[in-house]
Amino acid sequence: MVGRLMSDNRPVYLNLLKIRLPVPGIVSFAHRITGVLLFLSLPFAVYLLDLSIESQDSFARVQQILDQPVMLIVQILLLWSIAHHFFAGIRFLLIDAEIGVEKSQARTGAWLVMAAEVLTLFVIVWGMGI
Amino acid sequence: MSLYVLEGLRPWVIQRVSAVYIVLFIVYAASCYFTADAIAYESWKNWLYNPFNTTVVGIFVIALLFHAWIGMRDVVLDYVHNIMFRIFILAILIGILIGSGLWVFRILLLSVVSIG
Repeated sequence: MVGRLMSDNRPVYLNLLKIRLPVPGIVSFAHRITGVLLFLSLPFAVYLLDLSIESQDSFARVQQILDQPVMLIVQILLLWSIAHHFFAGIRFLLIDAEIGVEKSQARTGAWLVMAAEVLTLFVIVWGMGI
Repeated sequence: MSLYVLEGLRPWVIQRVSAVYIVLFIVYAASCYFTADAIAYESWKNWLYNPFNTTVVGIFVIALLFHAWIGMRDVVLDYVHNIMFRIFILAILIGILIGSGLWVFRILLLSVVSIG
């Protein structure tokens, strides 16, 4: 009996690298991360909005700032975040409306979200003319 | 923790309603962006000066602030368990959100006044 309890109390070893999160889990987790990223970018976005509307010169400065290589990467990251949050959010709204709740549908929906966001990102990056 | 702002169905509803508005706004804003002849200072300023656009941007900002507040609040409630630290972080979040919101309204106000 004691031996039995002991063996049940063995510490569980979780190898994080070996846990494969199902696709809906990835979409859900990424929805959270992208939300936090977008929140953190908010004050900087407002700053750029202010510059962009203040005068002709400051508008040119915004373009200058955004054309920097580092800022291009930041922009792509944030646009990707918006795209993911957008499509994953629509998926969650549909699930709230009890559309796509069933397991295989939920999985298909998650894949659709991923496909839509990657496609959107390609269109945007292509539109940016990089 | 029984603070009114932290519980109930209402935040859940606000989160969804603001989400729907934000989706509609993004679709509208993106369609304006992609159909614009050129991205230049004058056209951008005129776009924002348009009463319809000023209004929908203003509502968008309000929707975004509520949406961000509830989302960030949920993240903090999930991961920060020390009550004092939690209140501290939530206060900073509120400060950032209200500060950003007031800043945008100042921008909108000045952008409308400076043309007219």
